[in-house]
Amino acid sequence: MPPVVRLLAKRLGTSLVVLIGVSMLIFAIARVIPGDPARIALGPNASADQVAALRERLNLDQPIVVQYGHFVADLMRGDLGVSLYTNRPVTTDIVQFLPATLELVLVAGVMMVVFGLPLGVVSARYRNSWIDNLVRLVTLLGVSAPAFVWAVILMLAFAYFLPLFPIAGRISDTMTIPTVTGFLMVDTLIAGDLRAFGNAAWHIVLPAFALALSGIGQAARLTRSNMVETYDKPYIEMAQSYGFPERRIAGRYAFRPSMIPSLTIIGLDFAAMLGNAFLVEAVFAWPGLSRYGVAVILRKDLNAIVGTVLIISAMFLIVNVIVDLLIAFINPRIRYSQRAS
Amino acid sequence: MKTMVKSLAAALFAGTALTAHLASPALAETVLRVDEVAVGELDPGKATDYADSVLMFNVYDTLVLSAQGSGGVVPHLAESWETDGVTYTFKLRGDVKFQSGNPLTAEDVVFSLDRMKTLGQGLSYLFAGVQGAEAVDGSTVKFTLSNPYSPFLSALLRLPIVDKKLVMANLGEGDGEMKDWGQAFLSTNGAGTGAYKVVSHNPQQETVLAKNADYFLGVPAKAPDTVRYRYGLEAATVRTLIAQGEHDISSQWLPPEVLKSLAAEGAQLLTESGGSGFYVKMNTAKPPFDDLNCRLAVANAFDYDAAIKMVAITDTVSQGSPASGPLPVGMMGSLPAADAFKRDLDAAKKHLSECQHKDFTLELSWIGEVPLEERFALLMQANFAEIGIKSEVKKVPWALFTEMVTKPENTPNISQVFVNAVTGDPDTLIYGMYHSSASGTWQSPEYLKDAKVDELLDKGRTVTAQEDRAAAYTEVSKRLRELQPSIYAYDQTGVFAASKRVSVPALSDPSKGFSLNGMGFTFRLMEMNE
Repeated sequence: MPPVVRLLAKRLGTSLVVLIGVSMLIFAIARVIPGDPARIALGPNASADQVAALRERLNLDQPIVVQYGHFVADLMRGDLGVSLYTNRPVTTDIVQFLPATLELVLVAGVMMVVFGLPLGVVSARYRNSWIDNLVRLVTLLGVSAPAFVWAVILMLAFAYFLPLFPIAGRISDTMTIPTVTGFLMVDTLIAGDLRAFGNAAWHIVLPAFALALSGIGQAARLTRSNMVETYDKPYIEMAQSYGFPERRIAGRYAFRPSMIPSLTIIGLDFAAMLGNAFLVEAVFAWPGLSRYGVAVILRKDLNAIVGTVLIISAMFLIVNVIVDLLIAFINPRIRYSQRAS
Repeated sequence: MKTMVKSLAAALFAGTALTAHLASPALAETVLRVDEVAVGELDPGKATDYADSVLMFNVYDTLVLSAQGSGGVVPHLAESWETDGVTYTFKLRGDVKFQSGNPLTAEDVVFSLDRMKTLGQGLSYLFAGVQGAEAVDGSTVKFTLSNPYSPFLSALLRLPIVDKKLVMANLGEGDGEMKDWGQAFLSTNGAGTGAYKVVSHNPQQETVLAKNADYFLGVPAKAPDTVRYRYGLEAATVRTLIAQGEHDISSQWLPPEVLKSLAAEGAQLLTESGGSGFYVKMNTAKPPFDDLNCRLAVANAFDYDAAIKMVAITDTVSQGSPASGPLPVGMMGSLPAADAFKRDLDAAKKHLSECQHKDFTLELSWIGEVPLEERFALLMQANFAEIGIKSEVKKVPWALFTEMVTKPENTPNISQVFVNAVTGDPDTLIYGMYHSSASGTWQSPEYLKDAKVDELLDKGRTVTAQEDRAAAYTEVSKRLRELQPSIYAYDQTGVFAASKRVSVPALSDPSKGFSLNGMGFTFRLMEMNE
């Protein structure tokens, strides 16, 4: 079996076990936190009879093991139950809200790579110069403040005082785009409406940048420190002594090995953003899954909590598998270690 | 590849360059943008919250309507009715059509009641005493009650009439002949006669409504053509949107500081009052509040003026007004504003000295989801300390609170809740709080047991003449002032920040206001100014 396939099979197997563990854990946790989901769902004016009837309908009057059995049986049919928050099937909610979060996180991820890695390279290349100091200061700011603080600052700066970007939403109210994938930037292109594409892109800039800032800072600082370390290696000295062009040394010999830790961090950041995007989504009124996840937790909407956590966990695991494969692709030693094992 | 990149860049640039144009709706169409914190429930059989009610009042109609300015109910889908106290027979208007084009019939009314009672959600408990309804003929419907229940007419404000034919044609999966009773369909679609139709509904984002040109009462030209009812916007986002002219009316849940800053920037402040109050509830089932003197001591020590100042927005607008008893001033049976509570430290000390319990520590709880209540808990802690009462402030999440209050021994000494009359009738405000049969809910953590109060509350339900009802509620208000199971902190006023683009007489002119919370957001009665 080729080492990459073996690595993939191993990672997927582990991920499946993790996912089953997460489902059991979140199922139990959601049921032991205080509060009666039926009471919360029916509102403060519901009578005791109404609450009891809903508890029975949701199987909440049965032992937790029996409830988990019902959950697994339904899950096998692709049924995650009905959300008490939206009164719709949880799968419908996830299908509607996940693309918005994924689109936001993907654009933020691209920003992390496009801005984070080059900033790290430039900083390392001009280490201890004013450029290096400036990059380090900016990236430190990015890492220090949480995303929602950046969200509010960016909104105030570029939507309120300097109204260059929209304040909220995914697209202007006047535009209607038929939903195909749920990714607005894709759907606008499918519809052949470039003006709407531009509008959707214009809406995503601020929230994605607010979400990405911390990751950009982390990636830049990590890339810089790794490159500085790599620049001290004998083979770089040898390349320099051979008179190789600086761009070639930086790009081919210094950057590639330095990229591996950065890639790992970007991968982890990218996956974490799926769950952490809720505050940015809340500030920019972005109708995504993270915001939905927080709303359902606050309402103790059991089915929706379990469904959302499972999906985010699955995404997290998928991203990690992809990062592992990418690293194996970049770093031959990992490929060969798989073969050896 | 280069060409594609250039095309994308050009599109992005074009999108950016069109910023101003795209952010504003076309001049020909007026768009009203409103927000609420909680997601609106479209199914009228499940409506309970503020947003649910607003959607219901605009997409659906009811047999009767809350009267503007005066309180009480007036004919709406029903043009007249007769009653003997146990049966109510309504004659329906003949000119009403559903948004689908189907004519309104008595069968639709029967179906709407059956559906609500069968689902058993939302405010269906209001109809627990209704045995059933029958269509006498196509335009006459008769309701039969188990016992005389005078608030029935106002309860009908919460029975939206649903298009039976449309729902039956869209039944989802479920057991029996009625399957899911159209729950799946009505969670994203409208089936009413209302002045606004549902265009789209995204629970995470907004519900879009459009004017119903065929509305039986007509919709004025100045009413908004489209309404975007947005959900879950952060206070900072609403503030920025209104300041930039991209939002029209905020929810009432903006912090006072944000409302104040918006008012300072020229936003108008709309108000809604008369249907709700802020109640500080004392657990009378355990020491020290099982002793009347202890209750009177803290009620007299509470600083009512400071409470009003804490929720003041401007010199003239506040989120609260002085309370005179359990019923908000102006509601049927309420005590006059001149009788409003005032702080009296001497009386507080006297009552404390006569209380049988000494040297106790009060548990002052506040609901974790309502930060304002923490301020009141701290105010009470300071107020009570002035007469020598020690207290501990405790944050309790709502979900936990509703469980704690089911047992008197677990119920805190002091709880704080906002309660509103869901039909505008005093019965729906205080029966659930103070009747001994209703003890142990979030509304009744007092565990009050008083035969006189029970008798008067029952009388308010059974006597039919409005004067007799008003007298019963006045008497129960006085009795509750004597018993002091709660501190009546203030009568609540909902304050909304609004742009100058919209005029809302129902929320700015008391003579046009409604006694029912949420009805001020009847969009057909609003006027767009541009």
